[in-house]
Amino acid sequence: MSVRLVAIALGGLFGFAISWGQFTDPDRIREMLLLEDAYLYVMMATAVAVGFVGVRALRRMGTRALVTGEPVSWTTSGVERRHLVGAAIFGVGWAVTDACPAPIAGQLAQGTLWSLFTIAGVAIGIVLFLRGEERRLARPATPRASAPSQARPLASAQTP
Amino acid sequence: MKRVSDLLVTRPPAFVLGAVLGLIVVAVLATLNQRLGVLGGYSAVVERLSGRAPSFGWRASFLLGVFGGSLLFSALAGGSTVGAGYGWLTRTFTGDWQVLVVGVLLLLGGVLIGYGAKAAGGCTSGNGICGTALGSPASFAATATFMATAIAVTFAIDSLIT
Repeated sequence: MSVRLVAIALGGLFGFAISWGQFTDPDRIREMLLLEDAYLYVMMATAVAVGFVGVRALRRMGTRALVTGEPVSWTTSGVERRHLVGAAIFGVGWAVTDACPAPIAGQLAQGTLWSLFTIAGVAIGIVLFLRGEERRLARPATPRASAPSQARPLASAQTP
Repeated sequence: MKRVSDLLVTRPPAFVLGAVLGLIVVAVLATLNQRLGVLGGYSAVVERLSGRAPSFGWRASFLLGVFGGSLLFSALAGGSTVGAGYGWLTRTFTGDWQVLVVGVLLLLGGVLIGYGAKAAGGCTSGNGICGTALGSPASFAATATFMATAIAVTFAIDSLIT
């Protein structure tokens, strides 16, 4: 089974589920963010609980990924400033549009053409971030080019 | 077919939907050994189209699946479940300039979503559901931050428009 087919199938299930939960409706999201509807919070808490137990069960059983054959594993990250600043910026965008990346794709699929503006914005935001990271990574490279002994740090620098 | 559409018009219980999404997180790990994250799909497309990546990768396929799944839902439900217009934006901004004003606000909101989620290492799905399920401290911190910010800004918008 190919990686692509499995990804499309699981993404399809995800898209179907969020559409059924009406997360594609900006008014529903707004009700949840105005704390008038607990649906989002119950859904997220259940998803995290099921996922939390499920992934640990996989690891404990020493499972190998069905398609790739790799042992199931993951790494976690400590909290950095970018996580908090980025999340705050994301939160503002979420509140203005009453949508986040998965529902935006769902909106387009359901014929809400307004989502084309949001999708274009998401793409621009990603490009701005990538350019910023590229500039940030390129900056120390110039002075270090003349000092080969210090050129190593660049090799470990990666974008998230 | 009538019965299917009747079933889909009403939301399933939140804990049922949550369990399904949690199981998808587990399934992505169990099949691909990857972390679920929808923003990554947009990023994969942008990176491929701008020549930053040699291929679209599995995340773009997952995003395509999200689109297809929503399309299938819409077909089985007998139409869109998204309300007319676009929420508070089209109710607040009306008249000749509506498309421009709402379009610009959605575009700017989208920029914040794309830039912010990329910086935070994930969006509602990547951090809020998957990263937290994996026990990542960064995801717990990011989720608490974006939930609190989104709630505060929504209340602020609500106080301005009502």
